[in-house]
Amino acid sequence: MGGIVLFFFYGSILFCVIASVVRITKYVRAPLHLRWELYRGSSVYELPDWWKESPGRFGEKLTGAVLDILFLREFYHRNRSFWYFLFLFHTGFYLLFLWHIWLFITAVILPVESAGSGGLVFGHVATGLSLIGGSGILIKRIFDEELKVYYPRTHYLKWLLILLILAAGFLAVVFHFDSNMPDLLRYVKVQVTFQDLEHKLHPALAPASHVFFVSFWLLYLPFSHIPQIFFRYYQHLRWDDVPNRKGSAIERKVKEHLNRPINWSAPHIQPGKRWEEVIREVKDL
Amino acid sequence: MRTGKTKVNDISRGGDEPLLEISSQDGMPRPSDQLLTIRPLTDEQRNRFEHSLDGISALGIPKPKSKGEEDKLVQSFLSGLRKLPSPDDNWTFWQPLVYSLESCVRCQTCSDACPIYLASGKQEIYRPTYRGEVLRRIIEKYIRAGGKISSWLTGEEMDLTWPVVARLAELAYRCTLCRRCAQWCPLGVDNALISRETRKPFSQELGIAPKELHDLGTAQQLRKGSPTGMTPLALRDNIELIEEELEEITGRKIEIPIDKEGAEILLLNNAGDFLSWPENTEAFAIILDALGISWTLSSDLAGYDSVNYGVWYDDVQLARIVVRHAEIAKKLKVRKIVVGECGHAHKTLLVIADRILTGELNIPRESALPWLEDAVCNGKIQLDPSKNDFPVTLHDPCSLVRLMGIVEPQRRILRKICPQFREMEPHGVENYCCGGGSGFAIMSARNFPDWKMTIAGRMKFKQVLDAFQDVKDPETKKYVCAPCSNCKGQLRDLLSYYQAREKYSIFYGGLAELIVNAMVDLEKPFIQWEWH
Repeated sequence: MGGIVLFFFYGSILFCVIASVVRITKYVRAPLHLRWELYRGSSVYELPDWWKESPGRFGEKLTGAVLDILFLREFYHRNRSFWYFLFLFHTGFYLLFLWHIWLFITAVILPVESAGSGGLVFGHVATGLSLIGGSGILIKRIFDEELKVYYPRTHYLKWLLILLILAAGFLAVVFHFDSNMPDLLRYVKVQVTFQDLEHKLHPALAPASHVFFVSFWLLYLPFSHIPQIFFRYYQHLRWDDVPNRKGSAIERKVKEHLNRPINWSAPHIQPGKRWEEVIREVKDL
Repeated sequence: MRTGKTKVNDISRGGDEPLLEISSQDGMPRPSDQLLTIRPLTDEQRNRFEHSLDGISALGIPKPKSKGEEDKLVQSFLSGLRKLPSPDDNWTFWQPLVYSLESCVRCQTCSDACPIYLASGKQEIYRPTYRGEVLRRIIEKYIRAGGKISSWLTGEEMDLTWPVVARLAELAYRCTLCRRCAQWCPLGVDNALISRETRKPFSQELGIAPKELHDLGTAQQLRKGSPTGMTPLALRDNIELIEEELEEITGRKIEIPIDKEGAEILLLNNAGDFLSWPENTEAFAIILDALGISWTLSSDLAGYDSVNYGVWYDDVQLARIVVRHAEIAKKLKVRKIVVGECGHAHKTLLVIADRILTGELNIPRESALPWLEDAVCNGKIQLDPSKNDFPVTLHDPCSLVRLMGIVEPQRRILRKICPQFREMEPHGVENYCCGGGSGFAIMSARNFPDWKMTIAGRMKFKQVLDAFQDVKDPETKKYVCAPCSNCKGQLRDLLSYYQAREKYSIFYGGLAELIVNAMVDLEKPFIQWEWH
């Protein structure tokens, strides 16, 4: 049984990494599309000779992305009642992520016996926020008439899984490790440094349950909305004010696209010809 | 109006019975005491055309005569649908489309942003996410590998039959592509783009599109010169008339140059302005003359009409007109193209065309609004705001504002020259569409205009009335400034439908007209308060 959990856990990590890379690669390789912008306010088009202006808005975009991710600003402004739980859940989730990094680093490089209770409080607060937020989201998804609309039933299972992960982690720390940080850190050290295979093959039920549920979640993660973050903030989806200048990489890509064959087959399109040819021929319309 | 929640799978219900029958004045409270009615199709129309979505026929899709014909159409639709999620076939919009299809978390935040959904009394089929959900389920089941099994497992199975295809075609034309939903979406999902992309396989594969957009629209523009039917010869006649009127107004000869090689700018105006609102062209001519700018119009095929209906339904037609406009500018050796008061022409030529035009065709293109702002706000023409001392509000064309970020120039102008300027609420990038977006303003077959007035345009009319709440008295003439020909067309129909001119003296017009009306040089008022 322990072997299965071990294999499943490391296998799920490997799967998650590979599938995420595949999915992100799909986005990165997306063809340059026609510009289909949306603006929150004034743009360069308010200026005469706008193409001479340098977009230079990387910093602004990055700041916007970070603030959106951290505070879920759009939900705050547009859907406040849902935001409260989303914000609690995501804040807790980000803190838990940091907490795990802290756990791994502390377990490996610092003397575990010196660990105080601060880390424990940090973990409990993060877990508590996630649990409250996650439960709230699930309840709202079940009972709120608007939030129920078209919500896939598999996503209810996703929330259940997340709550199980959180609850199992909390119970493992409180009951299995008896809220003792040095014990917890020693356990983490064994996991991270691959010491004591025997210990790994025969894990205790509480941490094994937590790890088991996490493994399931890792299998799902690459297909979730999380990798979409790359898509939203990457590759010209919004506020792509870089003009297509003569001789630029953008122009080269556009030319490549126009050189592609066109396969649509309505009467006003001549399939098989290149875009470049089709859009210059209008005689058969 | 039939109520009760329509489910996603209801779209595959067999038979002719509409999913929704809009027949009365329910829904959002009426903006005026005007009786709102949507005429049902005649028996003859019902027998001939598909109408099983909501009893409305925007496209006039003929009913298939046999099961064999139905199956053929379904297969053809499926063939087109396969091309949508293909980066090779649909490179033009693959990325934002796939992102939108894959990223919706069904929080329904967008629903409250949609004027059509709200004005209809929150009818499920008009919910911004409804058509996306239908499209997503069909793509999942019929196009993705293993889709049939996963659709069954997730309970999101949907059979692709002719009723689904016919309803989906109509449903794609119940959205004005105003993209307010996309602006609202916390994740940037663009349900309006999904509407637009749903139109694409119908047009680019089956050859199904509203007649006004394709046959009489883009095809006629490329063949004859303009969707208005105006030929180059008719243009010249029209311009002559406009020049005569200009002489009457200003007391001197102002030439409107046509095909002047080497001019600084090629002004691309909407041909609808030459015909229906010549005062807009006159106003531009007066301003450009006062500024001493070297400019020209083109009399080449499609060169005197800035419209590009392809942006609403068909990438190939879109690109053809973009290239045509650029070729004309190149031929005239102008330094740049300036787009007049036409929202979608702005968006198409300045923003979208930037990923179509290359090399010598990539001629600089800009909006006329910064020019007008410079003229007004930097004192390049002498103005007397007291000449515009009447209530004025501003309609924000979606294409200009939310879709390309031209928000302030028009406001700075109005604040400067209109003492009684007041904003609509909401405005700017959060504005509501006039209800004529994505081709609706020119689509007028069967009972679609009734739907357009009572549902699509209802929110805008309410906004207009609210903006003039303090001056409802019909003795006070009021002006809705709409710097977009398409929006003007819709406002004309909307204000007529609700009898706003008769009841409240609400008129509409462009931005340039208000500037010229305030010009010190003109003795007589330029705005005549005539209904066009």
